[in-house]
Amino acid sequence: MASARLLFALVPLAGLLELTSHFFFSMRAPTGDDWSKLRGALAAVAKPGDLIVAAPDWADPLARRSFGDAMMPLAAVARPDESAFARAVEVGILGSHAPALDGWRTVSETRAGRFALRVLENPAPARVRYRFLDHVAPDQLTVALGERECAYTESGRPRTGGLFGPATVPSVRHECPGFPGVYAGVTVIDDEEYRPRRCMWATPSAGEPLRLRYRDVPLGEKIYGYTGNSWFLYRDGRSAPVELVVRVGGDALGRAVHQPADGWKRFEFSAGAHAGEREDVEFELRATGSGERQLCFYADSR
Amino acid sequence: MKPTRWERYADPLLALALWAGYVALLLATSRHLGYARDEGFYFDAARSYEAWFRVLAENPSEALRRATIDRYWSVNHEHPALMKSLFALSHRFLYEKLHWFRAEGTSMRFAGMAVSSLALSFTYLWGRRAVGRVAGLVAALLLAFMPRTFYNAHLECFDMPVAALWLVTTYLYWRSLASGGWRWAIATGVAYGLLLDTKHNSWLLPIALVLHLVATRGRLFLRELRAGRVAVPKALVAMATIGPLVFYAGWPWIWHDTGKRLAEYVAFHLGHEYYNMEFLGRTYWKPPMPRGYAWLMTLGTVPGITLLLFAVGLVASLFHARRALRERLEPARDDAARLPTDALWLVGLLGAYAPWLSTGTPIFGGTKHWLTAYPFLCLFAARGFELARERLGELAGRRRALVTPALAASVLASPVVITLHSHPWGLSAYTPLVGGAPGAASLGLNRTFWGYTTGSLASTLNRDAPPGAVVYVHDTALQSFFVMQRDGQLRRDLRGTLDIAASDFALYHHEPHMGRVDYQIWVDYGTVRPLAVGAYDGVPVVWLYERPRPESHP
Repeated sequence: MASARLLFALVPLAGLLELTSHFFFSMRAPTGDDWSKLRGALAAVAKPGDLIVAAPDWADPLARRSFGDAMMPLAAVARPDESAFARAVEVGILGSHAPALDGWRTVSETRAGRFALRVLENPAPARVRYRFLDHVAPDQLTVALGERECAYTESGRPRTGGLFGPATVPSVRHECPGFPGVYAGVTVIDDEEYRPRRCMWATPSAGEPLRLRYRDVPLGEKIYGYTGNSWFLYRDGRSAPVELVVRVGGDALGRAVHQPADGWKRFEFSAGAHAGEREDVEFELRATGSGERQLCFYADSR
Repeated sequence: MKPTRWERYADPLLALALWAGYVALLLATSRHLGYARDEGFYFDAARSYEAWFRVLAENPSEALRRATIDRYWSVNHEHPALMKSLFALSHRFLYEKLHWFRAEGTSMRFAGMAVSSLALSFTYLWGRRAVGRVAGLVAALLLAFMPRTFYNAHLECFDMPVAALWLVTTYLYWRSLASGGWRWAIATGVAYGLLLDTKHNSWLLPIALVLHLVATRGRLFLRELRAGRVAVPKALVAMATIGPLVFYAGWPWIWHDTGKRLAEYVAFHLGHEYYNMEFLGRTYWKPPMPRGYAWLMTLGTVPGITLLLFAVGLVASLFHARRALRERLEPARDDAARLPTDALWLVGLLGAYAPWLSTGTPIFGGTKHWLTAYPFLCLFAARGFELARERLGELAGRRRALVTPALAASVLASPVVITLHSHPWGLSAYTPLVGGAPGAASLGLNRTFWGYTTGSLASTLNRDAPPGAVVYVHDTALQSFFVMQRDGQLRRDLRGTLDIAASDFALYHHEPHMGRVDYQIWVDYGTVRPLAVGAYDGVPVVWLYERPRPESHP
């Protein structure tokens, strides 16, 4: 009976244990100031072009604030995947690791206060010869809707739609006259896990294909890329599929059909006999059904 | 023995002290809390209703015309009017006439605080009567010091008031069952009318009370049913008659086209839109919703010691119920009344959680939609506390007198510290059971919603924004942003907007599905670097961008 009574002594102990645990957990993660002070330590191990990743990923805004655009540029933060990065620096807290870097070789690991800085190497980095998103000026890219050429501007009025609107319409874009909302330009969409993906927004109009023609592209062995559309807007499948065909020198290298609920979907087309050459590359986008059509794609030559 | 004067007044005074103390604490901490999205909408609604009250005072016949009612009461008619009317009256008299408050928003919040704090008083009164004075006090304080309760009790919203009135109605119902007379029954009917006029959670209470009636009357109820002579408690009769009358009287919107407007009201809530909510790393936006949501969120947000005392109390009550049913306790025995009381607490609690047994019930409100359960959870915790106190007292021997204060301090310390620490990040706060806020973020539990954390970056905006800067408010309603300006939380020269492209500064309140707004800011501003990050225990919750200016970035 006395031992049963002793069990009740666990009640005040539980209260005190919770209090102690609260202090432990509330002070466990680094503060904003801790993140700010880390910049020097990170700069000592990171090289230009390294992918900087916060782990767990919820700490990413603190990393972006502390390390800035130079160390964490938009193209890296909203990357298509990690395959083209040769090295990464993982800024880990609370013993976390970035799942995307599983399988990478650890080169070094240093502690800096409550942070673990892990330098990792990609065992098989892709050698990218040409990123299509980096070439939007009219001497490199022309865009046409059907037979009409879309006009290039670097000072278009940007448009943002908020939660329920489309992705940002960038000020640098090829705008197709007479078709509001039909343009080609680099923006960022949300994928099926609501992560950012930087891509070329290129939406055909009903019945008319949109063609993006890149001049003098150094071709590797394949054209590698992803198709997607804003997951939040189209996760219920309410839009028409969009077909993307890649042509080089008049040869169709491949065709990808993006269904609205596909998420961020990879494609790879062999360059075949064109590998190693410099040629014009055309992306043709065509809606294959009725209803709204949206497509954003990433592509590179590797 | 005749009670002393102290005995006679102690409990009402303690109940009053709990109410006043909690209201004072809420008022003292309100200024640091930004206005939530819905507060902005209710602020607008209350201003409209306030204008109608003025018309009523000056020209009653004009005020009662349908066109006038429609003009002033159509705003936010998807919710009944009691709390918004109280917000309006508090604003009119306590802010405009008596100048008790310097901030308009606080004057409106005060009405919410005052009604919410009733939950403490009635938890105490009920705990006192059913268990004991110290246990009742502990129960009330456990309720006060839950991070989500504390957060919601600040607001010019309905969720904590409906929890308070749900409790008040149930308490009065309990008193009416014991007294058998009409006085408590009528009070129950009136309270139920006020509950109906607060929020639609009220529809569930009669179901819970009928279940209680059936469960506690047992075979007798079946016999009465067969004989066609069911003795319906007077309070239920009052709830069915007085309740709707009070509800009707308190909501001018339904004075005309009553049937159609009530049907519209019911249809709105039965067919409510599914907003997005993150749970265990997944964003739910359409059914089926996760069945474990309410339970796990309760585990993760109610202090663990409160849950432990609840569990001890519940188990003890179940043992007591089994014994009572087996031994058929004489009604005259002291503990004979415990079974129906415990049963009432249980139906009050389960009735509040019941909607989330369905996978079709939206989960977008986080924990606020079942706050109605928490007073009952704390009343069971009072039973747990009392049992622990008795058993430890038996062990303590001559030091018995120390047991009560020591035990009370040990069970209250962590809820008080956790709750005060959570302010003003109430919706980001999680208990150590899930690893606190960092643990919850790693588990993929919602970090914030309602856009109220703009308040946490107000000082940065006030300091860094140039005169007349345009601020994209994201999830903060523009109305809430304007109230923050009128109350002095934000500079008045700042201009709120819903257009990122037109803004100089952009706020972002994080939820996974909102990420696309963050990305829109990146592309439009040309930077991924926030100017400031509002973080709770190291977990980013809200961040602010500044559009790079040519002069600052040559």
